[in-house]
Order: sequence, then C-alpha cells, then structure tokens
Amino acid sequence: MKPNKRLPFLRAATATVVIAITLAVWLPARAAEPKTSTGNSSRQWSVQVIKVDPAGIELAEAFQVAIYENLLDELKKTKRFQQVLRDGNRNAAAVADLLILKTTVEKYAPGSETKRAVTTLAGATKLTVHSQLCTRDGKVILDRSIDGNVRFLGGNLRATHNLAHHIAEAIKKAPLPEGPETTP
Amino acid sequence: MNRTLVGIEPELHLRHARLRFGFGILLLLIWSIASARAQDAVAVDPQAPLSMHATHLLGFEDVKGNTNGTLSIQNGAVQFQKDGQPGVQVKISSIQGVFVGEQSKQVGGVPMTLGKAAVPFGGGRVISLFSHKKYDTVTLDYVDVDGGAHGAIFQLEKGQGEVLKQQLAADRAHVTPQVVGTTKQETTGAANEAK
Repeated sequence: MKPNKRLPFLRAATATVVIAITLAVWLPARAAEPKTSTGNSSRQWSVQVIKVDPAGIELAEAFQVAIYENLLDELKKTKRFQQVLRDGNRNAAAVADLLILKTTVEKYAPGSETKRAVTTLAGATKLTVHSQLCTRDGKVILDRSIDGNVRFLGGNLRATHNLAHHIAEAIKKAPLPEGPETTP
Repeated sequence: MNRTLVGIEPELHLRHARLRFGFGILLLLIWSIASARAQDAVAVDPQAPLSMHATHLLGFEDVKGNTNGTLSIQNGAVQFQKDGQPGVQVKISSIQGVFVGEQSKQVGGVPMTLGKAAVPFGGGRVISLFSHKKYDTVTLDYVDVDGGAHGAIFQLEKGQGEVLKQQLAADRAHVTPQVVGTTKQETTGAANEAK
C-alpha cells in the first residue's frame, strides 16, 4: 500500500485550525474578564511610604535607607498608585485617597559576599520585615511578613532590593478598597 | 599499541590546553587584584579641599544607582557629579543625619565573577578569598522642600567616610543621634558625632 504523502500536511493544517479556533474563543473571553484590583477605582489611590522601623533590631542605617528608597522605586514601577509620597511629605495631608505603608524589621541576618563567593552555601544575607498597608482610617489592606535574601551573587544591599520588589509584588496583588475614601 | 598512543595524545593536549587556559585566567585575575589594591593605597591628603571619588549606590534624584563620580562639598551643599555631567546637589542644611559604615565587597564586578567561574578545579573560590576590598559607606538622610524624607548611600574608599562626616559636621549638617539600631557595620555613627 502506498503511503499517503498528504497525510502530514493535513495533520498540520488541522492542528493549526484547532489552535486558531481555541485562541479566537479564549482571547476575547480573557479580555472580557472583570478587572478586580487594577480597575479605574484603584487608580485614585496614592500611597505614602513611612521610613523603616528597625524595632530594636541592629540593622545598619544604610539598609534602612536602601529598603525605603527601593520601596519608593518599586511602588512607582507598579503604576498602581496615582502618587507615591515620601514619609513626612506635607502634601500628603491634602491627598484624599491615601494608603500608608509601614515597614517594621522582624529578622536580619547579616551575610558576607566573600563567604558566598568562596563557599556558595554560607554567607547569605537574610532580611524579613512586617509590611502593613492601611488606609488613613486604619483599615488594613495588607498585613504580612515578607523577606528578601541574597544567597549567591551580588552585594549585601541587594537583599533590600529583593525585599522591596517582593513587597511591591504583594501590594500589586492585594485588592484595594473600591470606594474612594472621604476627603480629610 | 599504536592505537592506545593515538588515543592518549589528544587527551594530553586537551589537558595541557585547559591548564594553560586556567593559568592564563589566574594570572589575569591576580593582576586585576594587584591593580585594585594599588589604587587602594593612594593616600588621602586631609588638607586638600574636600572632593573625593565616590560611587553613588542609590537615593540621589536623577542619578542612577552604582554610578561613579565625584562627591564634593561646596557652597553649602553636598554635590555628586558624574564625569562630564551637571552635578546633583543637596543643601547641607537639609541633611538630617550622616552615618558611616563599612562593607567588604568582591572586586571586579560581573567580569571578575565570570572569570572566577571559568577557573578550573575550584580556583575561583580561592581567588575570592583574596579579591575582596573594604569600603566605607556614607548614608545621608535629608529632606526635600516638601518635607519628604530622602536617603542616599555612597561608597567611598576606606577612611574617606569619616573625613566626609567630619567635614559635614563642621559645616553644621544636622548630625543627629538617631542611630538606635547601630550595628557593627555602623561603628562610627552619628551618635558618636553628637558627643
């Protein structure tokens, strides 16, 4: 019996058609999904980042500043907030829908870049903080412990960047209150 | 008999080539470390006007992280200037705290790390033992015109952090005793300055 040379072509064509139909059905359905947390209402929120509270833990000032500055950068990158305000900014009083982000250090294990480079396994810098995002009237939106570590490559301060990135990711996923807050 | 010899020779050549390659990388890395340490040995003249080479790690507005430039004090402001670009200034009167710390870093950055990874027989790890350098980190806490808190971190050659801190204290920067969480890295914090 002579093998049908058209068979592979037919199979490929069928597969293409099936994929095209699947995409045609799936993509509009995905686009029509209701946007829960990043809808228009969330765009009205602004956030004020409070300076890091070491809570009695011996954390170098450079680390505290690095966490604070990296948090501001990472929150701006999320594009979820109308304004990202600094601690002490007088303009915050006039912002109607303001969230406040507090960061308290829970654990800190200073590492060593040289130890990491020599042993690979030892010398990790580990940093755990408690992040609390709340409205001005005290309604808590996010309240959890988040960590940022450096295990292999990079300097110790990189832990603060990783930590800030994780906090920003958590905030990005957290559902913000739909209704706007009252004007102060 | 011949077959065995033919099989061994390319293997020997390959091994020799690997050894030569590894030795070459080792020499290159040793040279990099030696040149880095030679730079380290440059003496700081305390009488010279305060201007020092620094690396901006983060915090200054409109300056990228890990940027090399010159940190100076002039006209009542701390200025960081990247070569050939206008400087970014912070008024000394707005500085709320100056903290000096110390950190040890591996020299050479990513190229060095890749080089060390390429050294055979774990030689890169041995090099890592000697290829680190101590730096001073200076953290400046300051406020903007709206009262917003800022922080900037600079990496300086060892010993220069203290010089900068003393100069800022002399220029009446607000060096406040707010170092509650002083660590070993922050051995010369502002608390001592206030005393």
